[in-house]
Amino acid sequence: MADVFVGAVLRGGMYVLIALGLSLVWGVMKIPNFAHGEFYLIGAYACYFGIKSFGMPATLAVLFAAFTGLVLGAVIEKLTFCQLRKRSKGDWVTNTFLVAAGISFIIQNLAQYLFTANYFGVDKMWGGTRKLAGFTVSTDRLAAFFIAMAALLIFWLFLRKTRIGNAILAVSEHETGAMLMGVQIDRIHTLTFSLSSMLCALAGGALLSFTPAYPTMGLQPLYTAWFVVILVGLGNMEATIVGGFIVGLIEVTATYYLGAAWQNAVSLSVIVLILLFKPAGLFGKKIKV
Amino acid sequence: MKTKNTFINSALPRLNGALGKAGLSLVSLAAFIAIGLLPFYAGDEYIIRLGVSCLMYGALAMGFDLSAGFIDVANWGYAALMGLSGYVSALLYANFGLSPWLGLFAGALSATLLGLGIALLTLKMDGLFTALLAWFVGIILMSVVTALPGITRGVLGLSVEPLFDTPWSTPYYYVIFVICLATFITLRIVVKSHFGLAFRALGQDMEAAKYSGVNPVKYRTINFLISCFIAGLCGAFYAHFVGILTPSVMATRNTVQILVIAYIGGRGSIWGPLMAAFIILPVFESLNSMLELKYIIYGIMLIFVMIYYPGGLSSLIDWIKGWFAAKLKDKRTAGRS
Repeated sequence: MADVFVGAVLRGGMYVLIALGLSLVWGVMKIPNFAHGEFYLIGAYACYFGIKSFGMPATLAVLFAAFTGLVLGAVIEKLTFCQLRKRSKGDWVTNTFLVAAGISFIIQNLAQYLFTANYFGVDKMWGGTRKLAGFTVSTDRLAAFFIAMAALLIFWLFLRKTRIGNAILAVSEHETGAMLMGVQIDRIHTLTFSLSSMLCALAGGALLSFTPAYPTMGLQPLYTAWFVVILVGLGNMEATIVGGFIVGLIEVTATYYLGAAWQNAVSLSVIVLILLFKPAGLFGKKIKV
Repeated sequence: MKTKNTFINSALPRLNGALGKAGLSLVSLAAFIAIGLLPFYAGDEYIIRLGVSCLMYGALAMGFDLSAGFIDVANWGYAALMGLSGYVSALLYANFGLSPWLGLFAGALSATLLGLGIALLTLKMDGLFTALLAWFVGIILMSVVTALPGITRGVLGLSVEPLFDTPWSTPYYYVIFVICLATFITLRIVVKSHFGLAFRALGQDMEAAKYSGVNPVKYRTINFLISCFIAGLCGAFYAHFVGILTPSVMATRNTVQILVIAYIGGRGSIWGPLMAAFIILPVFESLNSMLELKYIIYGIMLIFVMIYYPGGLSSLIDWIKGWFAAKLKDKRTAGRS
């Protein structure tokens, strides 16, 4: 029972990291980011090449993955969503949904074109095992978890304590109001998107020894991140942190008692129940139905 | 000279009006006759097979457009509904000996039922929820089909009874031609009726439509179910045409292929997506040996159309038509004065 709990916490930590970016992009830019999982893929490939081609130590390679996510996120936002915003005449959510789907499609197939459908993985990043409260846990998992928690803490402090972070939160609450207070919306949008991509790429890099890089790897984290976000309510960032751990617990419990094949079916049943009884999410504000 | 003029002035519009009641126009009737005669002037088996996939993706994209273009719900489980219907029809034949012809409808019915479940859960909310739930259901359906090799043979592929005993594609061509024509006519009639008006109103502003007395859940559900039925019909046809089914038919990339055709064709026009299928599929046929490259170009086209020309091909053609009409009007008034 306790090992289920430890597994759930370790897994949930990574889900929080991935889902937070998704929630942030929805909250600030109102983009249902279907391409979010592809930044996980970018992080994994970047980390792999950082280790194998440039001989980086594991920690540096993970930071390199995050940096790659940050830069590519900014470039992609400038090329697509920024252009769309200049021209958009209503129907923003549908249009961005499709643009994001296009981005996801391009990145996935580009990865397959450049790197073929092979797995690019490493056996270990830090290596070894550690004793934790009587359980043996691999150091890689622990390290990934601590990187995730450190990133979350730094990110949270950035949002709460810095002027730019406050500007992001202000835009997510009221865009026009923030604009009137002198916030430059375009810059905030680009920054938000690239930060969200960075968080996801960081997760992809840190988990390289568990999920090797391959072209369709972005689907599972994307799916899970949407699960978290629907569970707690769209755009609710504090609740996303709780939600990530809840989903980790649900998945680990389902795998432990029913087997891995049923994990997805359990997730779907939870979503159906949420949509039936509390469509706004567990912690969501009431939405008009 | 005189008789020709009276023909153009009276008979043609009357014919057009009569065709309009059947959901057709002179242009679309001519296009369908040309498409229908394809097996006679294209002797090559390869071209007929290409024609089958154009007609099938055309019908699918029209069905997708009914939801995406009118009530603003992008059905992200479209390929999964297709696959479900194919599997249902194939398994009904394999286990109970149900004729594949009835199987087409049994499969379509199963897709409609699954669509009803998704509709009842999410259609009272924003279209985003429907898209997400349909996508989730699709992913899970795919993993279930893969995980049950005892019934579906999983990734090995389930062999499906063909509709005809012949290896040639021409009979299949006419089956999918009839499906495509029926889809076109039905959808055109539906969107011209008061249903179409309600769909458009709901797609533009759900709140406003609701207060004008349009029941959102009822009309959105009707729309969604018609769209799901078309996906099922084409999916079952696809299974019996190709002869082998693997879970990859349900993959999201198949949905994206349909969606790219529908959006490039133009939202809310029905004929746009059909035309786009006949342009996009033949053009990219040569890239089928390099699928990744083809999909990358699809993605770029989708982004490009969404950003710079969200109306798609149909609005481009409407614009050209408008331009010519304006020119013609100028000429007439100039001639009179």
